[in-house]
Amino acid sequence: MSVLAPIICDNGTGYSKVGFAGNSDPSFVFPTAIATRGSASQASRAPAVPSKPGHLASKRGVEDLDFFIGDEALANAKTPGYGVHYPIRHGMSDNWDHMERYWEQTIFKYLRAEPEDHYFLLTEPPLNPPENREQTAEIFFESFNIKGLYIAVQAVLALAASWSSNRVTDRTLTGTVIDSGDGVTHVIPCAEGYVIGSAIKHIPIAGRDISQFVLNLMRERGEMANVPPEDQLRVASKVKENYSYVCQDIVREFRKYDEEPYKYFERYEGEHSVTGRKYGVDVGYERFLAPEIFFNPEIYSSDFLTPLPEIVDDVIQQSPIDVRRGLYKNIVLSGGSTMFQHFGNRLKRDLKQLVDRRLDASVMASGSILKSSGVEVDVISHKRQRYAVWFGGSLLASLPDFYTSCHTKAQYDEVGPSICRRYQIFGSST
Amino acid sequence: MSNVLRPYLAAVRSTLTAALTLENFASQVVERHNKPEVESASSKEVLLNPLTISRNENERVLIEPSGNSIRLSIRIKQADEIERILCNKFTRFMMQRADSFIVLRRKPVPGYDISFLITNTHTETMLKHKIVDFIIQFMEEVDKEISEMKLSLNARARIVAESYLTAFNA
Amino acid sequence: MILLEPHNVIIQTTVLEKIQKPGSLDVVFVDYDNVRFHLSTPERKTVLLLSMNIRCWDELVQYGALDILRREYGSLLSSKVEPDYNVSLEIDLEQAPAEAEARDAFVLSLAMMKRNALAAPFERGFATQKELETTGGQGELMKVHYRDEEAMYIQAAPDRVTVIFSTVFREETDRIFGKVFLQEFVDARRQPSIQNAPQVLYSSRDPPLEIRHLPGLRNSEDIGYVTFVLFPRHFSHSSVASGTISHIQLFRDYLHYHIKCSKAYMHSRMRHRVTEFQKVLNRAKTEVATTERKTASGRTMLSR
Repeated sequence: MSVLAPIICDNGTGYSKVGFAGNSDPSFVFPTAIATRGSASQASRAPAVPSKPGHLASKRGVEDLDFFIGDEALANAKTPGYGVHYPIRHGMSDNWDHMERYWEQTIFKYLRAEPEDHYFLLTEPPLNPPENREQTAEIFFESFNIKGLYIAVQAVLALAASWSSNRVTDRTLTGTVIDSGDGVTHVIPCAEGYVIGSAIKHIPIAGRDISQFVLNLMRERGEMANVPPEDQLRVASKVKENYSYVCQDIVREFRKYDEEPYKYFERYEGEHSVTGRKYGVDVGYERFLAPEIFFNPEIYSSDFLTPLPEIVDDVIQQSPIDVRRGLYKNIVLSGGSTMFQHFGNRLKRDLKQLVDRRLDASVMASGSILKSSGVEVDVISHKRQRYAVWFGGSLLASLPDFYTSCHTKAQYDEVGPSICRRYQIFGSST
Repeated sequence: MSNVLRPYLAAVRSTLTAALTLENFASQVVERHNKPEVESASSKEVLLNPLTISRNENERVLIEPSGNSIRLSIRIKQADEIERILCNKFTRFMMQRADSFIVLRRKPVPGYDISFLITNTHTETMLKHKIVDFIIQFMEEVDKEISEMKLSLNARARIVAESYLTAFNA
Repeated sequence: MILLEPHNVIIQTTVLEKIQKPGSLDVVFVDYDNVRFHLSTPERKTVLLLSMNIRCWDELVQYGALDILRREYGSLLSSKVEPDYNVSLEIDLEQAPAEAEARDAFVLSLAMMKRNALAAPFERGFATQKELETTGGQGELMKVHYRDEEAMYIQAAPDRVTVIFSTVFREETDRIFGKVFLQEFVDARRQPSIQNAPQVLYSSRDPPLEIRHLPGLRNSEDIGYVTFVLFPRHFSHSSVASGTISHIQLFRDYLHYHIKCSKAYMHSRMRHRVTEFQKVLNRAKTEVATTERKTASGRTMLSR
C-alpha cells in the first residue's frame, strides 16, 4: 500500500473532475477539451501521425507535445493553428489519441504526480463496452506504468457519495441514481453495485436546456433587451444557478409573485465581458419555472413530454421485482442540474403519489381484500451532489478495501488488458 | 518495396497463394464439429508439410497448411534491443485488436512474433488474393514502421535532451 | 509542454482563489518525488496552514533546508509542525499583498515550497565550491534519498559541482527507452549551440567513481547513473543559480515524463497503423447483402 493518495479521475462529456482521494472536492474541474495543432475538422482521425508517414515524417520532433487541455484549450481556441476537440462523446471516449494526451497532461502538468507511485480510480458511464475498459487499461498501465487501477461505474460512485448524507444509515449500493449534468439526464437503477442496464432511461433535458429555457423566458419578458447578445446565455445560466428553486405548486407560486412582486423578484447585476458596461435584469417567474421543466416538460419541449417522476417510476418498474423496494427507498441525486432547492422533496412527493395511486388501484382490483403495507419512497439530497461521482470515488478510494479491489500492474502484466473487464464491487467478497 | 526484399516477399506470396486451397472439412474426431485442423491437429492425414521461408536467421515465415485452414507465422526483423521492444509492443498492440482483424491469431506461435490463421470460412467470404495482399503488405510495412518508430524515438530523445540542456543557458 | 514547471499548480490556484474569497479548506495533494502537501484552515478561514512532507527531510535539514525556507518565507514558517508532516507554513491571507503583481509573486513563491526545500544541498554545494577555489580539496558528498530507490548525490570540487542521479526503471520498455534518452543527453552536448550546458555522463549498472565507495548501492540491470558536471558559469550569478537549481531538481521527472510521452506517441502511431491495416484487410471482404433483421415486435436489431 502506498502512502500517496490515489488519484480520482472523472472524465465527463463536458467537464473533467480530477483530484486526490480523501479530499471532499476535486482539485481541478476543467472542460474535457484539448487544443491541438491542426484544424479541428481534418485532424479527427489521425492527429499525431500524418496520413502518409513518409521517410521525412519520422524526422519530426515533438509536435505531439504541443497542445493544451482544459481551460487553456478553450483560451487557445482562437490561436491560429490550434483546433479544439472534445475527446469524450456521450460519456465515452471517442478519440483515444486525444484522451491519452489529455491524461498525460492532467497527470504531469496539473496533478504533478509521478503515475508510477499512484493508484488510479477512473470512472465510466453505464453500459460502457468492455473494449473501452481494455483500451483505458492499456493506456494507463503501458504508457503511464501506474501502480494499480480501478474503473468504477459513475452511478455506483454517486450511490457511494450519498453515504455522506446523515440520513443514510446503511451503506448500500442499491438505489436509483438520477444523474443530471450539462448535456443529458440519466436515470440508472443499481442493485448491489451492479447497474441494471436494461432499465436505464435517458431524458434529453439537462442543464443546457434549463439555461436556454430561462433565456427564452427572459427574452419574452423583454428583460434581455439591455443585455449584450453574447452575454445573454451566460446571464441566463447565472440566474439559473443563483436564483432558481423548485416550488411545490406552480399556480400558488404565480399568485404569490403577483401579489407581492417586490418581495419575490430578484435583481441580477452584470457587467459586459468586454466593455465593462454595467447592466441589470429583473429575475421573476423563471426562478421557479426553470427547474419545473423536469416535472412538466411540456412547458419547454414539444417532443419530450414525460415528467421525471414518471420516468423514475418506469425505470424502477422495469427492474427485477426483488430490488424494487430498495430502488424506491434510495433515490440518489447527482450532478449540477439536481442542485435546485427542494428538488428532492418535489421528486419524492410526485413519485410517492404515483406509487400510492398504483397501490390503491391494486387494492381496488383485488376487491379490497389484499392490502399492501406500502412502499417507502425516499430521495436523498446531500451536500456533495454537484461532484457526487468524484466524491464517491474519493470516498471509496480512501477505504483500505480499495487496494485489494484494484488490479495492479503485476496482475496486468500477467493477464493483459482483459483483466479490466471485471472489477470487484466494493464491499462484496467476490 | 525495396529490391532486396522483393524475392523474399514474392516467395511468400506464391507459397501462400498455393497453400490457400482450403475446403470445408468437418472434424473426423468430434461429430458435428468443424475446427481448424492446423490448430486442433486431431487428424494427422489432413496436415500438410509445414514450410519455412527464410530471408536470414532473423526473418522468416512459417506456413503450416492443412485441409481446411492454414497458419502463417512471421518472425520480424529485430536488430537490437530497441527494435525488439518496439516490435513486441506493436505486435501486442495489434493482437489486442485481433477481433477486428479476423484472420489474426491472438497469440503467436512460439518462436515467431505474430501469427495469422486463415480458415476456409475466410477464403469463402473474402477475396483470396486480397487476403494475400494484406499479409504481404503487412510484412512490407511492419519493418518500415518499426524502423520509423525507432528513428522517431531517437529524434525525440535528441530534442528532449537538447531542450533540457539549452534551458541551462537561459 | 516540453519542460516541466517548478511550481505546484494546486497551491498556486488554491491560494489565489482563497485570497480572493476566503473559505474553510482541507485538502491533501502531492508533488513529484513522494512529496505530500496538506493545505487547511485549522483555526480561522483567513489563515491557511500549508504543510509538507518530504521523504528526505532529515537529510535536507542537515544541508540547511530550514535556513533556505526561513530566508524565503521568513515569519510564515510556523514554529509548530503539523503531525505527520515535516514543515508547515502559516499564511495569513489578510497579510497577502494587495496589488496583483506582488500577490502573484507571493503565491508563486509559496508554490515553490518543494523546490526551495530541495534547493538546500545545491546551494550548499555551490557555496562550498567558492570556498574550495582558494583552499582546494573536495567538498562533502551530500546524499539526498528523495525516492525509495533513487537518490541524488552532490559534491563540490574546486572547479565544479558534480550532481549524480541514480535512476531506476521499473519496466523493460522504460529501461530501453531511458537508455536511448540518456545516450542522447550525453551526445547532445556536441551541438555547438549548447556547448555551455553542463557536461553529462551516463553509465548503466556501474556507479561513477565519486560514489563507488558508498555502501548499499544496487548493481543491477535496471539502474542507471547520470552525472551532471556543473561549472561555475552555471551558478556564479544568483539568478542563474536559482534557475539551474529548479531545473536540475526536476531532471528525473523530466526524463520519466518524456519516456511516458514517447510511449503515448508510439501508441498513437500504432493506432494509426492498425487502422491502416484494417482498411487493407477490409478490401478483401466481399460485399455481403445485408438483410434487415427484425424482432417479433418489429424493432430493428442493430449491432454496435
